[in-house]
Amino acid sequence: MSVAPGLRDFRWYLWGPALLVAIGVLVPLGYLVVRAFEGDASELSRLVFRARNARLLGNTLGLTAGVLVLTSVIAFPLAWLVARTDIRGKRFLTLLGVLPLAVPGYVMAYALMASTGTSGLLSAMHLPRPSGYVGAWLALSLYTSPYLFLNLRAALLGLDPSLEDAARSLGYSNREVARYVVIPHLRPAFFAGGLLIALHVLGDFGVVSLMRFETFSYAIYLQYAAAFDRVYAAWLALMLLSVTGAILILEMRLVQGRRYERTGSGAARHSQMSALGRWRIPAYGFVGLVGSAGVLLPVITVLHWLGRGTQRSHWNDLLHALIDSCSAALPAAFIAVALALPIAYLGVRKPSKRSRVAERIAYLGYATPPLAFALAFIFFTLRTAPFLYQSLGLLIIAYALHFLAEAIGPVRSALYQAPARIHEAARSLGRSPLRAFFDGTFPLLRGGLGVSMAFVFLSALKELPITFLLSPIGFRSLAMGVWGAAGESLFSVAAPYALVLMATSSIIVWLLLRDDRNRSLKPFG
Amino acid sequence: MRSLIAFLVLLLLLPFAACISETDAPDGDEGTLVIYSGRRDVLVDPLVEMFRAETGLNVEVRYGTDAELLAALEEEGENSQADIFWANSAGALGAASNAGLLVALPDSILQKPEAFVPSSGLWTPVTSRFRVLAYNPQTVDVETLPASVLELPGMSDLQGRIGWTPTYSSFIDFITALRETQGEEAAATWLEGMKSLDPNAYASNTPMLEALEAGEIDVALTNHYYVARVLYGGEEGEHEDEEEEEEHEEGEGHADASLATYHFAAGDVGNLALVTGAGILSNSDQNAAAARFLTFLLSPGAQAFAAGEVHEYPVIRGTVVPTHLLQFDEAMALSPVFDFEGLRNLEGSLDLLREQGLL
Repeated sequence: MSVAPGLRDFRWYLWGPALLVAIGVLVPLGYLVVRAFEGDASELSRLVFRARNARLLGNTLGLTAGVLVLTSVIAFPLAWLVARTDIRGKRFLTLLGVLPLAVPGYVMAYALMASTGTSGLLSAMHLPRPSGYVGAWLALSLYTSPYLFLNLRAALLGLDPSLEDAARSLGYSNREVARYVVIPHLRPAFFAGGLLIALHVLGDFGVVSLMRFETFSYAIYLQYAAAFDRVYAAWLALMLLSVTGAILILEMRLVQGRRYERTGSGAARHSQMSALGRWRIPAYGFVGLVGSAGVLLPVITVLHWLGRGTQRSHWNDLLHALIDSCSAALPAAFIAVALALPIAYLGVRKPSKRSRVAERIAYLGYATPPLAFALAFIFFTLRTAPFLYQSLGLLIIAYALHFLAEAIGPVRSALYQAPARIHEAARSLGRSPLRAFFDGTFPLLRGGLGVSMAFVFLSALKELPITFLLSPIGFRSLAMGVWGAAGESLFSVAAPYALVLMATSSIIVWLLLRDDRNRSLKPFG
Repeated sequence: MRSLIAFLVLLLLLPFAACISETDAPDGDEGTLVIYSGRRDVLVDPLVEMFRAETGLNVEVRYGTDAELLAALEEEGENSQADIFWANSAGALGAASNAGLLVALPDSILQKPEAFVPSSGLWTPVTSRFRVLAYNPQTVDVETLPASVLELPGMSDLQGRIGWTPTYSSFIDFITALRETQGEEAAATWLEGMKSLDPNAYASNTPMLEALEAGEIDVALTNHYYVARVLYGGEEGEHEDEEEEEEHEEGEGHADASLATYHFAAGDVGNLALVTGAGILSNSDQNAAAARFLTFLLSPGAQAFAAGEVHEYPVIRGTVVPTHLLQFDEAMALSPVFDFEGLRNLEGSLDLLREQGLL
């Protein structure tokens, strides 16, 4: 049954949420533009054509490129090892590859700084204290690598082995099969993971400010936090937005016409596992290095903090921070999923130009650097809805809209796997479209919805800049506890916050992997 | 997947549990004193607790940097719930005064401090601190350090070894004083000279001193109490050990510490005295409670906290200063003499820092 396009097809419960998302994302951004053009023309041209802006652009792009290279170096071999070789302890190795997701970037940066230098944990090794480009590059690469790892792993596991068999039967060697068949097929996964990483680098503020590397995000924060200059902050935000926009368009171009997923859901054979042989030792060495840098180092650093100072934070404060964190992040996760469901449904079941636009707008919200996003919300609410300003509701809405894109991917994958025939059967039994959906399709989506919720929750839990700018007075999340105390060098106070934050996130990561039955867990479909 | 959802639901129940256990907390803004604090929470929370216990008034604090809160106050305008602006720097308070955000304080408050009261009467000083040069005695010979901060750019052997905080409010106040005392030209020249030494720029002082201890830099332009906090503890809750202190002369520090304080020659702008202060916002509907809070900040108990735990100088007479600090009169004698109202001229300093590409 094909659905005729047009107004007849307009369903409020599908397009309503999509429209809300569009308004929620676009209107504040529009307001940012209005804000940027306040002030007189000569002032504006002075702000826009500063040599400093060019330097910020160079730094931002250089860092993004560097992180993409290093994350590939980390994620690709790791994904290959767990998906294609006979290495032992794959479940554990997979967990090791994903766990950095539970470590906030700023904790990773602190870990790198605390373990090096003349007074660091590893002072015997005489490692230089990382700062500037190198420091930001290492910390960002370590904590964003799971995004690429998960995507590559899912792609490698989902690759149809019959293609490789065909190539082999044509006389290709294993190396040639890898080069001409496997690697080209990994491109979409690489682009999807790389896009996520690029967006994280562009929006990151914690790592770059700790490592003192001046990117656009850092400069925006400085303008807002030190320079009393909101017009320039708005301009910097717009410049950063145009960089993210360019990257989004580039990714779209690169991905275009490159969908190689297996069609049909027939039984897939498992790919052949290659024996590691004499590569076993180097492989374990590599995994050990990545695991100790990405997981062990931050955990040990935080435990070291815990033992260092004399003052403990009160259990009560800790509990309150956990409650504050959850009271914002959980509703945000639910709302994000509720908004993602209709958007993903439109994209999968009723693909059209409009549905693609709805999806792209959700991505735009995600691609908007968090500081710019939060600034836009401040400007907007103060002028139009002051009662929302500094309310928990606004913080929740901002989280939900910003992280919505993370929720769409898993729901979409789940929708692809839920046969449309069930819905049609339910319809033919006389159910209304909505009833048919909830009785037939929805039960099949629960897994995907859970993953979506977990992704948004994880991100919102670690989030810093939006929380800083939009949180209600007296609100204090775990992330703010870590940042505030560590910024004053009160590491023994920061440690419990960091531990609770990482433990909560780790439990979720672990549950996600455990439930990942079809082994295709990946952020963004 | 069931366990994942169960875990999320469990976390969701937490806030509800908290609501039930916390029904005694009064809701709404009625009678709540809202403070916008540019000072970090660890320096403010204990005082707010003391005030709450003393008066039974409900106090809420929003934290941020001076600039963030000023921006917020200006954006919020009429909608602002803030009653008090408690800032880290005279510059921010001056900017708030210039923007008409503050109301004149009663004489009962303005009479309390013995120095630094602005002629406008729009805010009161709460504590004072002094600019110093922190250095690593293991790598820097104190004899080689210059008599004036103005000569620092000439120290070519410190190339790449200097730390500063060009975007931090105290530093910006220092730049304003530099412009006021030495003129715009000299200030610009100084900044250019400093930049040619390739200094490391930090967002705030504590990480800078961490970096100094870690060997990343060897000298740092900072405020006196940051050094004192590293050497003698403080608001981490460690109790001051009286005996421990007497061995240490100012400028020496712990024997094994890689950190010490250096003062420039008397009257040098590098030894500038700076204040933190607070004012009542013109939007406030809690004038009486706000005045009570300011009076509390100037009380002996609160002032002793600032001296003992934060290592800042009290502004009222008769508070005991820890022995490891210079006595207030000595420190004041080192500071240059000029009209502190000049620190109001913040905008010019920001423009200068922008021109120099530091902001």
